[in-house]
Amino acid sequence: MKRTSVVQALHAETLIISSVLQIGDSERISARTRALAVQRQYELFFGPEGEQIFPIFTKPIPRWTSPPPVAARQTLHESPVISVQSVRVLAISSSAIVHIGSTSTAEAEARIKHIRQLAGPAPSAPTRGRDS
Amino acid sequence: MNYTVINRHLHVGDIRLVAVASASLFLIGDADEIHLSSAFDTPPESLIIGPFVPLVPARGEAP
Repeated sequence: MKRTSVVQALHAETLIISSVLQIGDSERISARTRALAVQRQYELFFGPEGEQIFPIFTKPIPRWTSPPPVAARQTLHESPVISVQSVRVLAISSSAIVHIGSTSTAEAEARIKHIRQLAGPAPSAPTRGRDS
Repeated sequence: MNYTVINRHLHVGDIRLVAVASASLFLIGDADEIHLSSAFDTPPESLIIGPFVPLVPARGEAP
């Protein structure tokens, strides 16, 4: 048995990139994000690039296997309610989950790679050696 | 092993969050299993100074 969640007021501003805002019970929630964030000094687009070539997007992440449930476990809900007056969230992003209610399994995975590309020194500018 | 959990009265006032991000979970309720993983990569090679060319993996980073 799971408890009932009561929230009087919820205010969420922004929900983006594979995030979940769940009101009510759920059985299984699964969210996945792969983000390649490239910042270039100039607006230059080479079409699709780098989507599958970085290991961060493909390397397996070890998964923790849950131990067998404790045989003599007893849970007593003296109060069957979890109550919250108000919730305010500004942003929910990149496979984040905001969940009001109970669930069985919640899983989320985010893989993010940041790259910054800046222009080098102008070719005409003389390059100084370290010793001079 | 005998293991007893007693959930007593739980009442929370106002919760203010700026952000929930990158495979995070904000849960008001019960759950059986939670699996969250996040990988964030910003190695030194991710700062590229030089000609603008399409992205290729750094040496030693080949898949």
